[in-house]
Amino acid sequence: MNLFQYVSENFNNILGLFVEHFFLFLVSLIVTTIIGVTLSIIATDEGREKVGQVILSITGAAQAVPSIAVIALVFIYVGIGKFPAIISLIIYSLVPVMFNATSGILSVPKGVIEAGKGMGLTKKQILWKLKIPIAIPVIMGGIRSAATIIIGTAVIASVIGGGGLGDLVFTGLKLNRPEALIAGAASSAILAIIIDRILAYVEKIITPKGLKVEQ
Amino acid sequence: MSSDTSKTENTKAKNTEEQNKEKAKENTIELKNVTKRFGKDVAVDNLSLGVEKGTLTMLIGPSGCGKTTTMKMINRLVQLDEGEIKLNGTSVYDIDPVQLRRTIGYVIQEIGLFPHFTVFDNIATVPRLLKWDENKIKKRVEEVLDMVTLDSSYAYRYPLQLSGGEKQRVGLARALGADPEVLLMDEPFGAIDPINRLKLHDSFLEIQDEIKKTIVFVTHDINEAIKLGDKIAIIKDGKLVQHADSTEILYNPANQFVESLLGQDRSLKALTLKRTKDFTSKENVFTVDKDTSQDNVLKQLQKKNEVIAFVLDKNEKLVGRYWLETGKKGKVEINYDKNPIMTEQNNTLNESLSNMFSSGEQILPVVNRRGKFLGVIRLSYIFDEFNK
Repeated sequence: MNLFQYVSENFNNILGLFVEHFFLFLVSLIVTTIIGVTLSIIATDEGREKVGQVILSITGAAQAVPSIAVIALVFIYVGIGKFPAIISLIIYSLVPVMFNATSGILSVPKGVIEAGKGMGLTKKQILWKLKIPIAIPVIMGGIRSAATIIIGTAVIASVIGGGGLGDLVFTGLKLNRPEALIAGAASSAILAIIIDRILAYVEKIITPKGLKVEQ
Repeated sequence: MSSDTSKTENTKAKNTEEQNKEKAKENTIELKNVTKRFGKDVAVDNLSLGVEKGTLTMLIGPSGCGKTTTMKMINRLVQLDEGEIKLNGTSVYDIDPVQLRRTIGYVIQEIGLFPHFTVFDNIATVPRLLKWDENKIKKRVEEVLDMVTLDSSYAYRYPLQLSGGEKQRVGLARALGADPEVLLMDEPFGAIDPINRLKLHDSFLEIQDEIKKTIVFVTHDINEAIKLGDKIAIIKDGKLVQHADSTEILYNPANQFVESLLGQDRSLKALTLKRTKDFTSKENVFTVDKDTSQDNVLKQLQKKNEVIAFVLDKNEKLVGRYWLETGKKGKVEINYDKNPIMTEQNNTLNESLSNMFSSGEQILPVVNRRGKFLGVIRLSYIFDEFNK
């Protein structure tokens, strides 16, 4: 049976898994972005820059941890199903989000923050009017890596009952049906490309113009 | 009768009150026995300093002497441990720090322009925090841009599109945005190359002559301190060593430390006390309009027996210079220079002298920050000053 035949015969099934995969991704990305950016903001608050440095070292090293290890650990402590799968995706993708958000905020020039403070901006204004907008390209970079990582890792998370396109891949593996495996992997890759394009567009829109002008 | 006495007493009380107010008003900024420690290190040690209204006080000393810390205590970026700091008679600790800072202009060496804001938005920052009307803000931005000699097309550029000198001008414009009475400046020209620094000094002095702000200016450059400061406060190890005007410091240094800070060339430095504009004259200076033809200029020069003609446009801006040269066969040739060497009115005598040496000219045209021709300075004028 060739790939096209397989896809046309199982189109509805594949589409269903694709949508399921997308929702797994969407929930994980939203939660990980909120948690990751919030933690980074707290860790990089004035006078707490050292905490930020520690987070940079930890998240830098944590990028080397294999995703399967995180999934296995969550399986041991939380169990099986959609919820544990999402938890493992959130934990694993927190790493790039926090690494980028922390380094982005820490790399806002000291002079900019001091000038803002000296001119009478409140702490909140310094955060929302200076730090975040200036760090936006770096923060968005982290969110984009997280998106790609979540879509890829969600395939593996189907082993603990996450569902989604991983079901196709593992079915193909178990039943020795390469067309199922390829259909699953390719769909997940297509989803990753589409999402990355969308996020690249979002990044372009929300990056302040002054950061993009030619010198 | 009794009411009369109480009245006179009342007026008396009022009078003394007013007198007290006036006394307090004399110094816009008053530091009294201020001490600041970082852990066990004493950064500022029982320092007292007054800054008169409308004057510029330079804080100078070696790095780590506490000059920046002293300045930052005025707008409460650094909290003092002991002592008192008053602004117009009110303790800065009686004012909310955020509100306090909005009333004080602040310029730092890194400039710290907000890269994602246009020049306009950078300058409008404090006026907007103070909820000014947008029309008033627009007018004010144009006004301060003009003050720092940037035309209004700069308003919609971003900091990344500016040169170092332009950034520094915008930094100054931003600090002046809400028209604060007091400015704090932390080595604002420290990162600028020497040529642009001279230009910025000159503009800055002209602007200060116009707006008369009360300024505390931190520097580690004694030449800058002598050139810009109405008063100089020399600080060492957190203590005030000498606080006086530049003449007093040059001729009566308080101790060896001040002497060493002034360096070996004190007699040359004395030239920095004099401004070019006080030695500028229009006597025997020949100027021509931009539209005058070269032949016409040549005729006029020969008639008057002069060799140099300065070319001005209709706004009296210096745009060029003609000079006569006798060629090999005794034939007189006229030359044109569209970028003549010039000096600015607030340059010190030794800066103008240095310009003369580097250009080989004995006569330099003097201009203001907008390039307007004010006259010439001659080498002989400077020598006369030496001989005094």
